[in-house]
Amino acid sequence: MNSAQIEIQLIASLVAIACAIPGTFLVLRKMAMISDAISHSILPGIVIGFFITQDLNSPILILFAAFTGIITVVLVEYIQKTGLVKEDTAIGLVFPALFSIGVILIAKNANDVHLDVDAVLLGELAFAPFDRLLISGIDVGPKALWIIGVILLITISLLFAFFKELKISTFDAGLAASLGFSPAIIHYGLMSVASVTTVGAFDAVGAILVVALMITPAATAYLLTTDLKKMLALAITFGVLSAISGYWFAHWLDASIAGSITTMLGLLFLIVYLFAPSKGVIAVMYREKQQRIEVSLLTFLLHLKNHNELEERHVNHLREHINWQKVRAKTVLELALKNNMIMVDNNIVSLTEKGDTFTSKAIDYIITNEDAQIEDMKDDFFLFRG
Amino acid sequence: MLGSFAVLRKQSLLGDAISHAALPGIAIAFLITGAKDSNTLLLGALVSGLIGTFWIRSIVKKTHLKSDTALGLILSLFFGFGMLLLTFIQKQPNANQAGLDKYLFGQAATLVESDVWLMAIVTGLCLFVLLLFWKEFKILLFDADYTKTLGFNTKFIDILITSFIVLAIVLGLQTVGVVLMSAMLLAPAAAARQWTNSLSTMVFLAAIFGAFSGVFGTAISASQTNLSTGPVIVLVASVFVFFSFVFSPSRGLLFKQIRFIKNRRDLELHKTLTFMHHIAETHDDISHPHAIKLLNNFQGFTRKTLQKLVKKDYVELQGNMWSLTEIGFETAANLYTKQSTEDE
Repeated sequence: MNSAQIEIQLIASLVAIACAIPGTFLVLRKMAMISDAISHSILPGIVIGFFITQDLNSPILILFAAFTGIITVVLVEYIQKTGLVKEDTAIGLVFPALFSIGVILIAKNANDVHLDVDAVLLGELAFAPFDRLLISGIDVGPKALWIIGVILLITISLLFAFFKELKISTFDAGLAASLGFSPAIIHYGLMSVASVTTVGAFDAVGAILVVALMITPAATAYLLTTDLKKMLALAITFGVLSAISGYWFAHWLDASIAGSITTMLGLLFLIVYLFAPSKGVIAVMYREKQQRIEVSLLTFLLHLKNHNELEERHVNHLREHINWQKVRAKTVLELALKNNMIMVDNNIVSLTEKGDTFTSKAIDYIITNEDAQIEDMKDDFFLFRG
Repeated sequence: MLGSFAVLRKQSLLGDAISHAALPGIAIAFLITGAKDSNTLLLGALVSGLIGTFWIRSIVKKTHLKSDTALGLILSLFFGFGMLLLTFIQKQPNANQAGLDKYLFGQAATLVESDVWLMAIVTGLCLFVLLLFWKEFKILLFDADYTKTLGFNTKFIDILITSFIVLAIVLGLQTVGVVLMSAMLLAPAAAARQWTNSLSTMVFLAAIFGAFSGVFGTAISASQTNLSTGPVIVLVASVFVFFSFVFSPSRGLLFKQIRFIKNRRDLELHKTLTFMHHIAETHDDISHPHAIKLLNNFQGFTRKTLQKLVKKDYVELQGNMWSLTEIGFETAANLYTKQSTEDE
């Protein structure tokens, strides 16, 4: 590993952290698509900034870009407030328009300069180490590293300073407002941070990776935990993990680093999406299946309770009466037997005492819908937990 | 046209997500066939667009992640994966690879006759299916549960409509590119929505708006050098939207503002009249003159409202004094009772 490789990984990890923090809040506030909008609409800001400074490396460019990002947010909000269209439509209207302006500005005026759409949108991490920051002639490291480092520092300090405010306003905007925090200030503060982060990071890694790094780690973490602090920590971990593994993946495949980091993020999300303990697809499917069986069990028990006649309780009759497939009937029967709720005597099924009380309780629960009565049954059954 | 459905279904950003999600499909189709035949590439884009869409669906349905997160997730992940594949392809020893990224940003000028025919056919197909399933689409759009109870196969209709949206997007990609496709899908529909509450009118209007912005955009971009077609079309469409927002008769901002001001004036007028009525009530003679000064510390009062009242014959002015007329007194009294009954 040479120094350039280390630097690339360092930059990627820093970007991942810097994106994960605002990203978590964006995901929680249901504003994930805003990051996509910002990453596109900063284009005119960069172009205008370039016309003014005539220097692609000027920090004013970043200021302008961040400013357009905030304009995007304000515009989206304004359109949304008029009540004419929904928020997502507002986003979808604003950013292509701004992006078009940017593209046209480039095409009309900056054809001879090195400033094209690809460079802005896609970025290339591999070149980041070659763009060095020179302070009075001394090489102090890649420029991107410094930019993103500063942004990260600001983000973290803001996070620590306003953690409580952010938390409250994210989960209960009304409470935050009544406590005297201004939701608007926090909102725009968060948006500015997101905007600045996007701008600072896109230079190094490209807009798409920024969006991916903002949303994916946060979404992945959200599947695993509901604790805000844990979610932040997890999001950061996922971000850094995929940044580094993505780099080596790209190294091995000799392909775009940004692309492979995104791919790693995607893989990570897919794994969590499938296997997350309580919210993953498999867990959800398992739970749904359990619940189905339990509902069947309950139907079955109710049927037994309602019928005293022997022929109604014959195993074969039950099967045709409740209209179940053979396999399902067997599963239900076994489950009931295992829980000592029924007795099978000479192919006649009857409720045990336990089964009887259970059924009455269950009926009570269904009728009254009160939780207290079934506290003790909760351990055995999924059905009453949800 | 199909955008109308997307807008009404609150899936506006789906267009954006799909257009990005189509990229890996294009890349994979190219990797498999090794040729740059636009039909196979489109097929690949269509398939991956559909996968993306249904994945978004299942994320929203199966987990507690919200739709915007799912959209952003799929969008960036698919696009990133597509980028990876593209850069991977570029390293491959194949002379055909150049120009794949044209699909990203779109070039209306690169369209050849066969592409245009393909588009025309697909548009025709869309129209046909739309007309055929019009009733089903409409009912699913506004009341999905009701549709289900009526015995329609909602899943099938849903998939059908989504597939057509994806198809339209993928075709449009070639013309205006990834970023701007979402605007093409949204803008005409959002503009059309402002003018009407009827679905059929809205779809019709959206089609007209879309076609016009296409024609105007192309014309403008052709008249100037160095103007790419896609962005101009989008800007024209945005102008349409802006125009609709401001000037639409029932929902537009301009008329809303005018109505708002008119309402406020009416209210002030009524308030002044009621206030006068209160003063006049204390006297036996309702037309007993009072000083205008009396009204000055009343909030709703301005010289203009007084003049308006005079014009309506509610009030008579004599120098610095005013007095209520017979009609004025009655109107004010009625106004008051009407308000109090409304309060109850």
